[in-house]
Amino acid sequence: MLYRTAGQFKTSYEADQALFPVKQDAFLLGFILVLAWVIFPLTASEFTFQTLLIPILIYSLAALGLNILTGYAGQLSLGTAAFMGVGAYACYKMITIMPWMNPIIAILLSGVFSAGVGVAFGIPSLRIKGFYLAIATLAAQFFLVWLFEKWAWLYNYNASGAIQVPNLDIFGLYVSGPQADSIVQYYLVLFIVCLLTWVCINLTRGNLGRTWKATRDMDIAAELIGINLMKSKLTAFAISSYIVGVAGALFVFMWRGAAEPNLFDIPLSFRILFIAIIGGLGSILGNYLGAILIVGLPVVLNLVPEALGIPLSSSMVEHLNFMIVGGLIVFFLIVEPHGLAQLWRLLREKLILWPFPY
Amino acid sequence: MKHFTRLALAGALAAATAGASMAQELYAPNLAYRTGPFAATGIPLMNGQADYLAMLNARDGGIGGVMINGEECETGYSTEKGVECYEKTKGKAIVTQPWSTGITLQVLPKTNVDNIPILAPGYGFSPMMDGKTFQWAFNTPSGYWDAADMIIQYLEGQGSLDGKTIAFLHLDHPYGKEPIPVLEQLAEQKGFELNPIPVGLKEMQNQSAQWLQIRRMRPDYVVMWGWGAMNAGAITEAVKTKFPMENFLGVWWAGHDADLRIVGEDGKGYKSISWSYPNMDAPVMKDVQQYVIDAGKSKTDETEMTGVFYSRGIVISAILAEGIRAAQAEFGTPEINAEQLRWGLENINMTEARIEELGLTGMVPPFQTSCANHTGHSGGWMLEWDGEKFVKVSDLLTPNVEAYQALAEEKAKEYAEANAPWPVNEDCDAM
Repeated sequence: MLYRTAGQFKTSYEADQALFPVKQDAFLLGFILVLAWVIFPLTASEFTFQTLLIPILIYSLAALGLNILTGYAGQLSLGTAAFMGVGAYACYKMITIMPWMNPIIAILLSGVFSAGVGVAFGIPSLRIKGFYLAIATLAAQFFLVWLFEKWAWLYNYNASGAIQVPNLDIFGLYVSGPQADSIVQYYLVLFIVCLLTWVCINLTRGNLGRTWKATRDMDIAAELIGINLMKSKLTAFAISSYIVGVAGALFVFMWRGAAEPNLFDIPLSFRILFIAIIGGLGSILGNYLGAILIVGLPVVLNLVPEALGIPLSSSMVEHLNFMIVGGLIVFFLIVEPHGLAQLWRLLREKLILWPFPY
Repeated sequence: MKHFTRLALAGALAAATAGASMAQELYAPNLAYRTGPFAATGIPLMNGQADYLAMLNARDGGIGGVMINGEECETGYSTEKGVECYEKTKGKAIVTQPWSTGITLQVLPKTNVDNIPILAPGYGFSPMMDGKTFQWAFNTPSGYWDAADMIIQYLEGQGSLDGKTIAFLHLDHPYGKEPIPVLEQLAEQKGFELNPIPVGLKEMQNQSAQWLQIRRMRPDYVVMWGWGAMNAGAITEAVKTKFPMENFLGVWWAGHDADLRIVGEDGKGYKSISWSYPNMDAPVMKDVQQYVIDAGKSKTDETEMTGVFYSRGIVISAILAEGIRAAQAEFGTPEINAEQLRWGLENINMTEARIEELGLTGMVPPFQTSCANHTGHSGGWMLEWDGEKFVKVSDLLTPNVEAYQALAEEKAKEYAEANAPWPVNEDCDAM
């Protein structure tokens, strides 16, 4: 009823191949975009911006980057956090060396550095596969974090070894640092996330995306039909690391405000991998759903006992939180091993037939 | 229907009175860490803090007649959760207590915008002692640079340091690197050789490589800037490699009873500088026992209570309470706001007599803060593990602040420049 497709006729191949073959999908996306661009910014408090909206967007973007590599091209990577770090440190160096630089351009450019590093660490993927490749990317993870600690030039010889985001402005409006308003940061993050998501949707549906999927599904077969595996794998590494690097720059500049090298250590990599897996590998939507579950839900759960007036100590809430979120992860993976995106896909199929399934 | 309206009315009334009673308290949230990898050290500190406030509420009815609410927000020592807690509490908080260096780093630049004082007793960025630049940050009663200076003073008391070697075993993290500038300066002055040995966050529990290095180096002393699992790791490793414990010293966060209890007798002689001391005969401990522990309002236990960290929690809350009292007296209102509390924290005068009056006899050295001096530089005592507990083995050591005052001002200036626009306290003319 809600998702009735009757009467939506396709008269051309183009229409049949369109991004939204069903009109309701387009409406739904439009609704979500209005929510993100208008409703949330108008209603959200400082707390909501800082603990829900901004982090969910940034984590989604990082997971999206990983998903290009792991979900679409089939190359398992455990070095996501390190590539985020490359983006963050590159952005920091650019901003401190060239203070006149527009922060948005600096953030978008910082991805180029992580793309370069990503390609370098992606070269072994031409020879090794699967778990063995995961170990190779793990080397990137350890090496880069070590480099962030030891190479003092990266953090401008700061005594504490951490990088701190300065106050940066675009035409007099602060966009990062403590002086920046959350709403400005939110819009900037939202803009970049929307832009990159749009690029990714097009990439994955296009020629490049098809080569990646062929590589993922069976690389020997892909090679036999004329796909250049080197090109396919290395572009996946480059584009994935670019997005992850931009996410890293946003992570530090638009949200955290300061970063120590160990922030980019393996727990962050795992967190992003979990978002991608629980959201659904090989899906764009899944990254957002995964980030909402892993990043957003614990924050919301923390507020529940107080809102209901249940007197629980803060540490107890934290322990309960671990158990609930952990339980939910197990639950979702049992119900739908292909992730939340697949769950939505099935739900949508059912909605199209509802209320008269055959 | 009538029944329903009455119910609704009662509900509204209850909500209104609840709202009113909310206003009648001082909200001093604590970003606690009772979970996560550092919980073992966090729990006694948090218990001490909470118990002192609970004791004030039970014994005196709060501070200046207003109850104090030291609600905890759990961070698990994670920076991300810490920022979440900060955002959650900052609306009505009069103070923020970030606890981890990472959270302090995040929160420090924000306080200038949000105008909330940070109370970071004995930790955080050492140049915070420059109150003119760091208007909202307080690391009373002593900072890391004070600790480094006092440790070297104590070692000098054992004999000249000229030509000696000191290994500086530290966590490879902003916290561990903090005292290096002052130690380097002292090394140059006193003629000893300083060998920094970093311990990575992943190597905290397994320091065999570092201790092998120490064995080869044969340093005269090992000074440790450790935290969490690193302390227990280092102490057990020192015992294993038969390093003479009396030449092994740590900062105050490396003096946790539980870490030493693992090695017991073998740890005899290990020392830790401290600005707090568990004096079980102090009147305040009796009051805590009577009003809080016997009343069943505490989460602590017998052994924990006698430890250094529990009493440090008590001292921290006492410093906060003293700041609140100073502000209440100055502004003539018991319900002070964040800005007034900042004035209070800048005007703490913990004299010997005042410490006596508060019942904190022998638990904290006297100190005084001002708008230019946000640390107080109380100094501290050298504590030594006697196999069962920590005991004082030195008189009060006071840091030689003049030696690094210029360095602190320089670093503070650097920080302000990097974070421009950074408002500084122009009105402050005290030195």
